[in-house]
Amino acid sequence: MRIRGLFPFRRYTLPGFIILLLLIALVLMSLRVKQRKGVEFLDALMMELCSPFQKGSTFVIKTVQGVFEEYIFLIHLQRENGMLKQKVIELQQENHLMREIALSNERFQKLLEFREKISSTVIAAEVIGQDPSSWFKSLTINKGEKDKVQKGMAVISPEGAVGQILKTAPHHSTVLLITDYNSAIDTIVQRTRAKAIVEGKGENQCQLKYLLRTEEVAIGDIVVTSGLNGNFPKGLMVGEIRKVERVSQGSFQYAELVPSVDLTKLEEVLIIIESSLPPQEEKGKKVKKTPGGSRKGK
Amino acid sequence: MRRIAVPLLLGILFITLQTTLLASPPIQRIRPDIVLILTLYLGLSYPPISGGILAFVMGYLMDLFSGNSFGLYTFSRPLLFYVAQLFNGRFYLEGYPSQFLFVFLFALVEGILDLILLTALNPTPLGNLYPLLFSFHLPLSVFTGLITPILFLLFNKGSLLLFSQPEMGTKERG
Repeated sequence: MRIRGLFPFRRYTLPGFIILLLLIALVLMSLRVKQRKGVEFLDALMMELCSPFQKGSTFVIKTVQGVFEEYIFLIHLQRENGMLKQKVIELQQENHLMREIALSNERFQKLLEFREKISSTVIAAEVIGQDPSSWFKSLTINKGEKDKVQKGMAVISPEGAVGQILKTAPHHSTVLLITDYNSAIDTIVQRTRAKAIVEGKGENQCQLKYLLRTEEVAIGDIVVTSGLNGNFPKGLMVGEIRKVERVSQGSFQYAELVPSVDLTKLEEVLIIIESSLPPQEEKGKKVKKTPGGSRKGK
Repeated sequence: MRRIAVPLLLGILFITLQTTLLASPPIQRIRPDIVLILTLYLGLSYPPISGGILAFVMGYLMDLFSGNSFGLYTFSRPLLFYVAQLFNGRFYLEGYPSQFLFVFLFALVEGILDLILLTALNPTPLGNLYPLLFSFHLPLSVFTGLITPILFLLFNKGSLLLFSQPEMGTKERG
C-alpha cells in the first residue's frame, strides 16, 4: 500500500493547504495592520537576499546608459564641445560675480552655516530601486541598520524633503516617499506661517490638509517643514502650492502642492540620523515611537 | 527542486526589473506588472501546492520592496493564483487575444481588491484613490495584458527547454 493511501484525510489535503496559505497571508496582514510593522527578521532577511539583485541591475542599467551616452552619441561631440567652451567662459564670469556676492552677503553666510550643520548629521545613500507596485510610492536605498539608519528617520535631498525610512535591513532600507498616501508631514506655509499637514496624493503630488480657512494662501506659496515632528529639521522645503480650493462650509481649506524634489529621478539621497536619535536614557522607549511618528493612523 | 528554484529566481529577477528598469520615468506610468504575469502563468501550468507557495513568496517580496505596509500582495497573489487555476482547461488560452483578456481582467480585479483592502485597513479614509483606478491602474492593466502573449510564449519555450513538458497539469499535487 502506498504511504499516501494511509493518510485518512488525503482528499482534504489540497483545500486544507490552500486555506492554510491564505490564512497565513491574512495573519501576516493582521499583524502588520495592528503593529504597523512586519515580521522584522523575515523582512530583513528577504531584503538582504534580494537587494544585491537590485543593486546589480541598477549598476547594469547605469553602465549601459553610460556606454550609450559616452560612445554612441559622440556624433555631436565637436559641436557640443564648442558650445560647452563658450558656456565655461560664461559660467566663469558668473562664478566670479557670485563669489563677490557670497562674501558680502550675511544671509548667505547663515545659510552656509545651516548647511554645514545639516551635513554633520546626515549620511548619503544611493537609490537602488523603486516601488514595484502601482499604488505605493517608495524607494530602496543602499544604507541600513549597520549605517545607523532607523525607522522614521527623515530622508532629504538638496532640493527638499523626500520621505521617511519605512523598513530597515542590515544594509538596505525602504523609504516611504512624501507622495505616498500613508505619508504625512507637519508643515508651515513659508509666507504666511500657516500650519498644515502635507499628505501624499500619489502621482508626484501632495495635498495640504487641516489648513484653516482663515489663513491666506495662494498659488506659488512655498511650503516648508515645521520641525514639530522631530524627524525633519525646521525650514526644509517640501513643495510649492499649485491649487487652492476654498469650500463654502467647514473650518478648513484644501490645497495641492508639487514636491520640490523630482521623486521620479532621484539617484542619491541624504538621511538625517541625528535628529531622530533619542536621548540615551529613553532610547528603547522612543525608538518604538519614531517609526510611525508622522505616518497616518498612529 | 528545479521546478521551484527556476520560477523563484525568475520571480526575483522580475521584481528586480520592475523596481529598476521598468520604474524609469518614460515608462513609469504604463509599467506592466510582469510579476503578476508570471504568477498567473504559474496558476495555469503549476501544481497547486508548489505554485501556491511560489505565488505567496512572490507576493511577500512585492510587499517587501513596496511602501505597502499591510502585506496586501502576500494575500492577493496566492488568491489570484488559485483563481487562475480554476480557469485552467476551462477556457481557450492559446490565442493572443484570450491571453491578453485573461491577464488584463486579473490585473484589474487585483487593483480593485487592493483598493478595497486599502480602504478597509487604513485607519484614515483614502477617498482620493478611487479616480486613480481609471486614470492610472486601467492603462497599467492594459499594458500588462499587452505584453502577456510575449511573456507566455517565452515561458512556454523556457518550460519546454528546462522541463521537457511545457504544461505540467494542475492535477499533479505538490
